Amino acid sequence: MSVFWSAFGGGFLGTVVMTTLMRSAAEMGFTRMDLAFLLGTAATDNRRTAKVVGYLFHFALGIAFALLYGGFFAAIGWSSWWLGALIGALQALFTATVLVNVLLPAVHPRIGTPETGADEIALVEPPGFLMLNYGRNTFLVTLVAHIAYGAIVGWAVRV
Amino acid sequence: MELMRIDGYARIEDYALIGDGRTSALVALDGSVDWLCLPNLDSPSVFAALLDRERGGTFELQPVDAFEAARRYLPDTNVLETTFTTSTGVVRVVDALTLPGHGLEPMRELARSIEGVSGRVSMRWRFAPRFDYGRLAPRWERRGGMIIAGCEGESIALSAWNAGTVVATEGDRRGTFELAAGERALLAMSTAYAEPLIAAPRRDVEARLGHTIAFWKRWTDERHYEGPWKEAVRRSALVLKMLIFAASGASVAAPTTSLPESIGGTRNWDYRFCWIRDSNFLIDALLDLGCYDEARSLFWWFMHATALTEPALHVLYRLDGGTRATERELPLSGYRQSRPARVGNGAVDQLQLDIYGALFETAWLYSKGHHSLDHDTGVVLARVANRVCDIWRCPDSGIWEVRNGPFHFTHSKAMCWGALHRAVRLAEQGELPARHVDRWRKESAAILDFIDTRCWSESRRSYTRVAGDETLDASLLMLPTIRFPSHERVRATVDAISRGLRHDDFVYRYRVDDGVPGNEGCFLNCSFWLVSALARTGRVDQAASMMDRLVARANDVGLYSEEVEPANGTFLGNFPQALVHLALIEAAIAVGKRS
Repeated sequence: MSVFWSAFGGGFLGTVVMTTLMRSAAEMGFTRMDLAFLLGTAATDNRRTAKVVGYLFHFALGIAFALLYGGFFAAIGWSSWWLGALIGALQALFTATVLVNVLLPAVHPRIGTPETGADEIALVEPPGFLMLNYGRNTFLVTLVAHIAYGAIVGWAVRV
Repeated sequence: MELMRIDGYARIEDYALIGDGRTSALVALDGSVDWLCLPNLDSPSVFAALLDRERGGTFELQPVDAFEAARRYLPDTNVLETTFTTSTGVVRVVDALTLPGHGLEPMRELARSIEGVSGRVSMRWRFAPRFDYGRLAPRWERRGGMIIAGCEGESIALSAWNAGTVVATEGDRRGTFELAAGERALLAMSTAYAEPLIAAPRRDVEARLGHTIAFWKRWTDERHYEGPWKEAVRRSALVLKMLIFAASGASVAAPTTSLPESIGGTRNWDYRFCWIRDSNFLIDALLDLGCYDEARSLFWWFMHATALTEPALHVLYRLDGGTRATERELPLSGYRQSRPARVGNGAVDQLQLDIYGALFETAWLYSKGHHSLDHDTGVVLARVANRVCDIWRCPDSGIWEVRNGPFHFTHSKAMCWGALHRAVRLAEQGELPARHVDRWRKESAAILDFIDTRCWSESRRSYTRVAGDETLDASLLMLPTIRFPSHERVRATVDAISRGLRHDDFVYRYRVDDGVPGNEGCFLNCSFWLVSALARTGRVDQAASMMDRLVARANDVGLYSEEVEPANGTFLGNFPQALVHLALIEAAIAVGKRS
């Protein structure tokens, strides 16, 4: 199996596991983080369709990141589940500190930022540093989910 | 207008609020900014002279010579204009927390624009920030023409144009200047938190001030209210807009902490949280005034904030949706020595059953306001309705958050009935899963039976404060608002409260021990609830004349605190209070619809 297709398959499977872990954590009351909702509301303010759009977007992102992982593994000439897990942990850190906390609010039309004033209406509260506004365990949940995702992609990619 | 400071403290009614949807400041009639938290409404203060004249920090701006002051909000805005008249001339000061819109804006910006109107007036200013509720003195620097007060990751810069030479004294920076008719000066305070300071040029500050005035006028123009007491309702709407934290849509009960319920007393609480029951009233008011976007934002926040705890609800949430609000005392002397000054709120851990009714009333109103509920929200609400069935028989701390309970409060039970009644209606409309509707119907009937058999006093001809009791409770004035059945008993209860708890136009919550030492004034929301209850039970003329008198009780810029001292009308408690302004709007609409 080529690097591309193994990364594609690993990305899909990894995203299934990551999404399931995060959704389960939310249902168990560990976090208010809902990635599908967060991503979907960038496209629509209809709560019903936002989650559908968000899941599609999340899977596309999951596969796209897996292809980047695959490219990295191909460049260094080897791969393993633990290296994938390590990259997943780094990705979680980047996601929580920069991607969702800083970059997403900058382009998301409905998410609040620290600068949002009375002349704007934010429908989604800002995630805050390490997304802690969504619950104190949010970063831990995100970290575990991304480590699982990275490990699956690292395990699946055939260099 | 007469300015009175007692032991260095302005009267609560001598303050006006300015805000930008992120934070807010209280400006005294004599031009002192005595309360400002940065960067957000619930952050630690940098100006807290309101709670400690010596250590709290302040930003003074006033004539050097003796003066008289008059003020107003610029029409349909939250921008304050104070006119100082001295023996030598007149100056006008415009204060605003500006909104982004022109140039590279600072994280937060307080603009103080001064204009000579006639003659020549000597002015003085004193800039004395103290960080973290007065605990930390600033580290002073002078860079790029700005006075910079720094502390850990936070910096405040003051830019002064035509405002005199800056003089450094221990703990503050100050200046004096003279303005003739037509001359202008400007003081701009900008804030940075974990980012570099912005050195804004004067033209950008002035442009943002103009933009801010224009925004507020536009926002007010878009509100639809054609009923009676139009000005009071519009001012209340503007106040409420300042209390909404724009980044999340949540709303604080008041922008202050620890303004006392009696001078020198201990009933001093932090209101910079979002109470679920206030959100119910707020959504109602927002929808009535045509603020559909704000209502939707609040409802989305509401469902998001409760996601961690549902089907159990917390009484209050922080503006970031968190639930920890540990109560602690501040090292401040308190407003006119009313100790302790507190942050956090111990009520967060109480069981208050009425909030379940508030949640369903919110969902019901939101749904009626042309917003259908999504499937996930419906599922959550159904779980909450089942929880109401499980817990309504429990005693609780009630709407007044008593600290000597729990008790079987009649109001709490009525709100549980309201929760299940609305849940059934929502399920009938397809907004909630209908699997448990029979249980909801059965339990709501059981609650009605409990209230009618255990909470009615034949001798007082009234529903009582708690089951098996004989005391009155002003919260029962809300029974007509939630459309509680048993109309004759509801009407009799309104009359009994009017006879037993009223002092002129002011209404006490109750007259029994609640587990907190000290006295309290009359809660102004109860007065407006009485207006609404009178109107809803057919006494419209009586309600309208009482409303006229209450509207005249606002301070000079139309604001209300939580309570008044009934003997002299002095304001008490946190200021301005959202619940009072919400009750005013509700009462105006209730009377207007029936006139």
